[in-house]
Amino acid sequence: MSGIHWPSHLLGRLYLLFATVAFEYLFCFGGRGKIPGHLAFHGISTDTYGQIPIFAYLVFLGFGHFRLKALKEEIPFGRILFGAHILCMAAVVSFTMALRAGAGWVRFDTNAYTKSALYLLGTVLLALACVPLGSWIVAIRATGRLWLYALIAGVAGWCLGSPIKLLWDATNTVQNGMMQGATLHVVSAILGHFIPDLIVDPSTFTIGTPRCLVIIAGGCSGIEGLGLVLIFTSLWLWVYRKETRFPQAFLLIPCALGCSWLLNIARLCALILIANAGGPEVAQIGFHAEAGWIAFIGIALGFSMITQRLSWTRRISSAAGSLKGEMETAAGASEQVGEHGESPAIRAYLVPFLTILAAASVSKLASGYFDWLYPLRFFVAAVALCYFWPELKKLNWSFGWVAPVAGVAVFLLWMAPTWWGHQHAVSRLGADLAALSPMARWAWIAFRVVAAVLTVPIAEELAFRGYLARRLMDREFDRVSFEKLTVLAIVLSSVAFGLMHGQHWVAGILAGVAYAFALRWRGRMGDAVVAHAVSNLLLAAWVLGFGDWAQW
Amino acid sequence: MTKSFIKNALVVLGLALGTCTAAHALVFNPHPHSPEIDPGLAVSSLTLLAGTLAVLRVRRKK
Repeated sequence: MSGIHWPSHLLGRLYLLFATVAFEYLFCFGGRGKIPGHLAFHGISTDTYGQIPIFAYLVFLGFGHFRLKALKEEIPFGRILFGAHILCMAAVVSFTMALRAGAGWVRFDTNAYTKSALYLLGTVLLALACVPLGSWIVAIRATGRLWLYALIAGVAGWCLGSPIKLLWDATNTVQNGMMQGATLHVVSAILGHFIPDLIVDPSTFTIGTPRCLVIIAGGCSGIEGLGLVLIFTSLWLWVYRKETRFPQAFLLIPCALGCSWLLNIARLCALILIANAGGPEVAQIGFHAEAGWIAFIGIALGFSMITQRLSWTRRISSAAGSLKGEMETAAGASEQVGEHGESPAIRAYLVPFLTILAAASVSKLASGYFDWLYPLRFFVAAVALCYFWPELKKLNWSFGWVAPVAGVAVFLLWMAPTWWGHQHAVSRLGADLAALSPMARWAWIAFRVVAAVLTVPIAEELAFRGYLARRLMDREFDRVSFEKLTVLAIVLSSVAFGLMHGQHWVAGILAGVAYAFALRWRGRMGDAVVAHAVSNLLLAAWVLGFGDWAQW
Repeated sequence: MTKSFIKNALVVLGLALGTCTAAHALVFNPHPHSPEIDPGLAVSSLTLLAGTLAVLRVRRKK
């Protein structure tokens, strides 16, 4: 296809390799644990051993991004090797299907060894097809000892898994649930001041009142938050290591972990108080999950702002410091960092979508099964779009015939699993709406439809096609023409878009691709927005016309 | 050189520790009734965080 550019540089090829392996694993082999007869060494599945290279590769790719990006030499694509890779994978699929069909010529053990060897060979061939051996050596030389750090991370992650699990998982012995016990003790100490008839059972990690009882499971002990905070803080310090002063910055990690644990205590206390006050559904459905994520986002934002703003942890340019003094040095460092920051145009493209996400988070926090605060999403997005309209009106909002056609096609694609498959999801939204007064019901539906047709398409197209797809191509994203979007940028931004749509993620990815090509057709934002709006309008008509509330 | 190695190794170790902790908690051994493991919620929350960080990293006007 003319005008479509496949990655020809090293970094793009490395991402292409990862995307291809992930695609084959998910779509051809059904994901983890679904390959019958996978090989085991010393009693441990190859799936488990496979975590080491996967994690090591991700560390290598993620942490070596900027150095690898600097290697601009074009590299050839090994078509013959790729063909051999396809043959290997076809053989693996054939063996799998033969085993499932119970073919007599396939013995389980033989099949497992052959298939694992073929899969390994096929992956190596793919790696060499995407990146020739010489380029692998160049990549390793360019990234110094990153390969060693990546290997350490892969092995450490593999080795530390089981010992860490003992900290919080009480499935074997009660003593192993250290985190659960500590969390239960602190929560009971705090709630004892507010609830006189507090019930505490340390043997089952149960706490609550006669009206509601909560079991502090392993996951509720705060271990998930600690893991996420540790990932975020480590990544942040690595990515911005040139702007950060060490070892001071390392001290912020235990502070962030402590905040995470304390906020989880606060979450559990609030959850029990809300349930005890008469809102068990809000506590269990909305607050339980959203409060944890809001706490994590708050800690992550706080950590990033402190490392960037606090002079104690922020590295200051010594050259500038010797010339202008400490105060001017700080300002100089800000500008130096600023040169590597995001384009100011990002605000207009991202803030409307972020306000919708933030409003959704708040509305779910205060809701049970029924998201009664949904209109909040419409209002905040409308305000954000109005605020940035002076900048956004510079875009071309006109549209052609491709837009409605793409919109109808996406709607048909979206509904296809329901019409021809067996995916008939059940939703209680209809019953919840029926319980409202007629005025409240129609007001809620009106806001839901207007948001789906107006604010959501504009905000999402600005974020995913206007910003993300172009940002994947160039830091100065606003200088990239919509007509120049590459296939890789379209696919990656569409994958991100699809993942936002939960169980409809496959249709979401395809919808993202369709909207992106509508945008690319004439380079007009209006085409993508209208296509998106038409899809959402038809979906709303289907939901209201046929009462298929699960589609919302 | 040694200081740099220790710094980088500590960061990587922290990342490995965090990843396997989160992976065991969220992916491999999810509690059957934990709604925070809902992938849609996780994706939207992480998108909100990433987007906000990107906006906060905007270049300052000189």
